Amino acid sequence: MTPLISAAKVGRMPHPRASEVARVALELCDRCGLCLPLCPPEAIHLEFDELLIDQQTCTGCRKCIAPCPVGALAMVPA
Amino acid sequence: MPDSDVLVVGAGPAGSVAAWEAKRAAPELDVVLLERDPTVGIPVRCAEGVGDAGLREFVDPDGAPWVARRITRIIFVAPDDTEVRVADGTVAWILDRTRFDSFLAERARAVGVEVRVATEAAGMERDGDGRWRVRVRGPRGEEVWRARVVIGADGVEAMVGRWAGLDTRVPARDMESCAQYVLQNVDFDPDAIYLQFGDRIAPGGYAWLFPKGVAIANVGLGIVALRADGRNAREYLDAWIARRYPGGTTVGSTVGGVIVNPTIKQTYGDGVMVAGDAAHMVNPLSGAGIVNAMKAGRLGGRTAAAAIREGDTSARRLSSYHRAWMDLLGEEHRTHYRIKQALDELDDGFFNGLARTANRIPERKRSLGRIFAHALVRHPQLIPVAARCFV
Repeated sequence: MTPLISAAKVGRMPHPRASEVARVALELCDRCGLCLPLCPPEAIHLEFDELLIDQQTCTGCRKCIAPCPVGALAMVPA
Repeated sequence: MPDSDVLVVGAGPAGSVAAWEAKRAAPELDVVLLERDPTVGIPVRCAEGVGDAGLREFVDPDGAPWVARRITRIIFVAPDDTEVRVADGTVAWILDRTRFDSFLAERARAVGVEVRVATEAAGMERDGDGRWRVRVRGPRGEEVWRARVVIGADGVEAMVGRWAGLDTRVPARDMESCAQYVLQNVDFDPDAIYLQFGDRIAPGGYAWLFPKGVAIANVGLGIVALRADGRNAREYLDAWIARRYPGGTTVGSTVGGVIVNPTIKQTYGDGVMVAGDAAHMVNPLSGAGIVNAMKAGRLGGRTAAAAIREGDTSARRLSSYHRAWMDLLGEEHRTHYRIKQALDELDDGFFNGLARTANRIPERKRSLGRIFAHALVRHPQLIPVAARCFV
């Protein structure tokens, strides 16, 4: 595996093509952490009581959206 | 810079048992247990059910203050609401996870583990002399802890594994999205747990009622979003409760993810091991994870203590943890995963028919094994499922 692919895989590189990115509605989010391991580029973090989505790393793949048990995630224009 | 030998991240069942075992195995070691939440055991993200035999390997549930209810029956509910009571002699327990988790953490503290609450790990790097530097945020501000071995017991979000370069990601088909209420004033058999299947009830998962007492229960369900009709887990749960328990009063609510993917390919690295939900150690068929987490914590804690005493905390040394886990349960989970995949192919009509077949067996003889044997003869759709048990 080339270093370039490896860097993209772990999500350290911004994704240039994402026209939409995931955003969390914090008033709905229960901070359960379910979406973190679903994110292929690992763009989602939980810090104490706050869910953070790195808008530069999100590729807009939508994998986190439907699984959220309370519908707190949605796509917004990048 | 504070130093530790074993730094455990997360004071759930995996982490507290890991810390306790490490300290008991090697009392001279400094063992530190970090918990992000201010109180161990809060919030509860769990249906709180646990099998009797597994639990007794670690603790005695009889009369324990952290037990909510003793369970002696399972009632499977088909998609069309046909109930199948299974009198298997099975005994399970519904825990009070807040008390249970705090009991386990206190037990670790009692043998000399330093427990720090309201303290989260924020990142970690390898330093020059083969130890981890773990960045930690808590009431004392930011600190960097050095550790010979880090045990990641940080649950579904699994950040320790991620920082250590392990692949802890989950394909969407293997993530159960769960929602649960604590419901009061509902009518059920308080000695039984109820499990209902059905594509319109809980696609890819099941709905449950686990009694916490008379007329009070954890009522929840898990779905695989890829198989759902656009509703989220809480919306499915609201619909289920409106149909089955319309008079109930909600006194609590939680949501969370249950990873029904087999154990991650590698649960260890140089100076690091991951355990419990963080390593995908839930039984993929049942979704049960508490005892598995404790078993992994025990293996991890003992491995950490032995490795430090030997002066070798390399990935190669810690790989014995992974092998021990795979022998104990990891391989079995692969089988359960294949069975789950085969069951996922069967439709509601099949399960309705299966329930009627099962109910033809007299109740006192109606064990899971006998149901399966009878069903195999009458429902050839089960043959591929049975085959997965042996592949």
